[in-house]
Amino acid sequence: MYTSTSNRRSFIKKMAVLSAMTAAASMFPGIIFAEEQQRNLPKGDLDWKKAPCRFCGVGCGVMVGVENGKAVAVKGDPNSAVNKGLCCVKGYHSVMAFYGKDRLTKPLVKKNGRYVETSMEEALDLVASKMQETIKDHGKDSVSIYGSGQWTIPDGYAASKLFKGCIGTNNVEANARLCMASAVTGFMTSFGIDEPMGCYEDMDHADVFILWGNNMAEMHPVLFSRLLDQRLKRGVKIIDFATRTTRTSMAADKSILFLPQTDLAVANAICYEIINNGWVNKSFVEKHCNFSKGLTDMGYGLEDKYSFTDKPEKISFEEYKTFLEDYTPEKVEKISGVSAKDIKYMASFYGDPNKKVMSLWCMGMNQHTRGTWINNLVYNIHLLTGKISQPGNSPFSLTGQPSACGTVREVGTLTHKLPHGVVANAEHRAFAAKIWDVPAENIDPKPTYHTVEMFRALDRGDIKFMWIQVTNPMVTMPKLKRYRDATKKEGRFIVVSDIYPTPTTDIADVILPSAMWVEREGMYGNSERRTQHFEKMIDPPGEAMSDTWQLVEVAKRMGFEKQFYYNEETHIEEIYNEYRRHHDNDKHRMAPLEVLKEESGAMWPYVDGKSTKWRFNAKYDPACSNGEDYHFYGKPDGKAVIWQRPYEPAAEEPDAEYPYWLNTGRVVEHWHTGSMTRRIPVLHRAMPHAYVELNPGDAKRMQVKTGDKMKLTTRRGEIILPASVNERGVPAPMQVFVPFFDENMLINDITLDSFCPISKEPDYKKCAVKVEKA
Amino acid sequence: MKRAGILSLFTLLFLSFIVVWNRSYESGLEDAYIPLDASDAVPSIPSEEGVFKRAEFALEYDKMPYDENHQRSLDTYYENRAYYGAPPYIPHEVTEERNMGGNSCLKCHENGGYAAKFKMYTPVTPHPEMINCRQCHVSQLTASAFKGTNFPKNKAPKAGENNALVSSPPIIPHQIQMRENCLSCHAGPAAPKEIRVTHPERVNCRQCHVLNNKKTADIGNFKKYLNETK
Repeated sequence: MYTSTSNRRSFIKKMAVLSAMTAAASMFPGIIFAEEQQRNLPKGDLDWKKAPCRFCGVGCGVMVGVENGKAVAVKGDPNSAVNKGLCCVKGYHSVMAFYGKDRLTKPLVKKNGRYVETSMEEALDLVASKMQETIKDHGKDSVSIYGSGQWTIPDGYAASKLFKGCIGTNNVEANARLCMASAVTGFMTSFGIDEPMGCYEDMDHADVFILWGNNMAEMHPVLFSRLLDQRLKRGVKIIDFATRTTRTSMAADKSILFLPQTDLAVANAICYEIINNGWVNKSFVEKHCNFSKGLTDMGYGLEDKYSFTDKPEKISFEEYKTFLEDYTPEKVEKISGVSAKDIKYMASFYGDPNKKVMSLWCMGMNQHTRGTWINNLVYNIHLLTGKISQPGNSPFSLTGQPSACGTVREVGTLTHKLPHGVVANAEHRAFAAKIWDVPAENIDPKPTYHTVEMFRALDRGDIKFMWIQVTNPMVTMPKLKRYRDATKKEGRFIVVSDIYPTPTTDIADVILPSAMWVEREGMYGNSERRTQHFEKMIDPPGEAMSDTWQLVEVAKRMGFEKQFYYNEETHIEEIYNEYRRHHDNDKHRMAPLEVLKEESGAMWPYVDGKSTKWRFNAKYDPACSNGEDYHFYGKPDGKAVIWQRPYEPAAEEPDAEYPYWLNTGRVVEHWHTGSMTRRIPVLHRAMPHAYVELNPGDAKRMQVKTGDKMKLTTRRGEIILPASVNERGVPAPMQVFVPFFDENMLINDITLDSFCPISKEPDYKKCAVKVEKA
Repeated sequence: MKRAGILSLFTLLFLSFIVVWNRSYESGLEDAYIPLDASDAVPSIPSEEGVFKRAEFALEYDKMPYDENHQRSLDTYYENRAYYGAPPYIPHEVTEERNMGGNSCLKCHENGGYAAKFKMYTPVTPHPEMINCRQCHVSQLTASAFKGTNFPKNKAPKAGENNALVSSPPIIPHQIQMRENCLSCHAGPAAPKEIRVTHPERVNCRQCHVLNNKKTADIGNFKKYLNETK
């Protein structure tokens, strides 16, 4: 598609260059087009409007250029505090995702095994009547909705209100369970309130960055560029602590490799060093921290209907200190493969009172069978040294989806959650019911299924109807084959709202065409608690309709006109204003819509016309009320918790039969399951298909070179992939890595559905695999 | 007896002297042995690592003024290449025929600078670790041809037409093997004016600029599949 720019050039006029130039001149460094490069730029009369990027959780501000009703260009928004005018390759080409040739434009209904085009009216009638029929025959808990961290705030809100408030089932889940749940439970157990205390501005203050299993150069490239920029200007240090050598390792000042799952032991060893060397910030710990321990040997959730509830128990500092004696750097060296010297090296930065340290992590720590624990352990390090809630001292949990925070975590589209609080709490239920205009008894006090269990329930037949919006579980579910077969069983009815045909629409009984991103109005919330609004800039194709309005239409058809009173023209504004009432308190107040329309996002708690950059710090956070410098107000006693969490092995470790570790993840060019980015020719050509990365030593022993076909076998099945040696990344010996974006090579067919018993988030990073030449 | 004792003592001392002397002489002949640090076994990824190689000079590149009278252009850049992608031949005289790069070529081509003799800025090599320069880069001692050639010189990509959208970052239109280090050719006074980067301080180039030279396989159209299912 990039070859066609020369044609477009002929009818586009001078304005684009002018506006690009003025924007560029005001931009944070660089990105000005040299005269020579500018000469061939298309010239045109473009209308630029601001939006948050459609892709990852960084939430870059972008400007979308619209011409003749088509989105034709993207540039970074210089006013955005997130990216200051810079994007990554996905962002710059994001608008091309609207125009794939196979875009879904009409609803498709499966009749006798074939999909038949129908009208939106009829399709929505069918969805509503099928849902009513299922509820009548099998009860309200037989219907469910499975959404996504790509839901806009109004999408998630409408879904939660319809299912939890009106229908009265807690069968509401979202794919953020697969990526962010451990981060949430980490925050809840350590601080009692979700989402990072700091913000991206920490990067401009910190002296040392420790990346915990986070290939930031590829996954959060714009933020990583911010670190590189700081290194050039201030000489900051970047330490890559990971299981695999990546582009991030290449750019880092030091790369430290550890064996999978042993991050638990290393984090404890760092705490041991901090205590042993007297680096504990005693007054901070005494005033603001408690020590607790929970249950151990929790299992891995591999069996159906597995359940686990932690039993926290307070302990003393002395008991915690004794516990840590098993984690001296010398002992941990043997478990983790990280030398005692390197452990002490990392600990010395955390311990140095004159160094500001930022820890950054994402899926490496969250997709972990002890995900909640490892989140707790990194917070321990920051709490022991008092390096938290200050500019530059920041444990920072990054997200992967544009509104995993804004929608799933804040609106609460998870089975146990409400927009404010949890379903188990009668007060919270009454509060939500009042705003939703439903009787309080409507909201079920008992959470039902988390994501993996929801698909297991579908398999068992406890769930008969599932509505899937903006996500692609038939690519992303672990142990995929079981769940794909489940959807095909007799008596299941699946509705899928999406913009392109995917393996998920392939199992649908009804496919609803959706309006995507700036084809409708909406809001996203990014990793740093920033809520960003985008207006409708272009028309969706054919009969495509926003997910919000699909839900509203179905709700109305089911007889909930009173609750879904919204007006088609103004429904986003009405929904947002209603949603804000749930967070009408100083700990979580959301910015008014006028502010979001005007500015490049605002960070909650938004109090007295101001975003809060650092929570729990009395200097910056008006919600602090204990008269001290810090107040961890999420917990009733105002104190954060330092958790005693041991090292436990992974659910399935390599053995004689399956001798390799299998790790999965992403690449810079593709986002999520690639259903959008693979339809962008520039990105597809840069990364056309998945592969299995081998360690060069292993490859040499097996006599394998790049491109050779490899067979990977686990206890779940087998898959054939081309080998990749010494390309994008290098796994450690006896480990392999496969990206999951490729729907033609579904690696999740063979991954394991073990999960963290506290967060219920599956571990996509670890299972045992056999690797042979195919 | 006493004399025999003294004699044998001296003989013993003399013999041991010979043995010790020989030993020490032989060990002196051995090459120095420096044990390799096995713990530092982090593999390097050339295609990824190269990008960051000259990054430490990024801020300096940013500050360097353009010397408009002595700029190179893409035309002159491709002039001394047999075809697009070929190693450039050496366009100037070479005095030291038998030297390795470290002692000759790299003196100028490692970091560049103004060469008054040629009235231009010295191009910077993207692969200074390869010091047998003349393995690929050869002199041109004559302008004549042995016989004529019909070799079709393939066209080099032009600057400014490799971007998919208005103002989107251009793709990398050339292969990058041995040219992973972007800044060596795209920054500094020797960079051809059309491809000189305006933002050298953004050192993670491949965050925005991607290659498009992979073989592409059809990603399949699921719509077709949809109509065929079950």
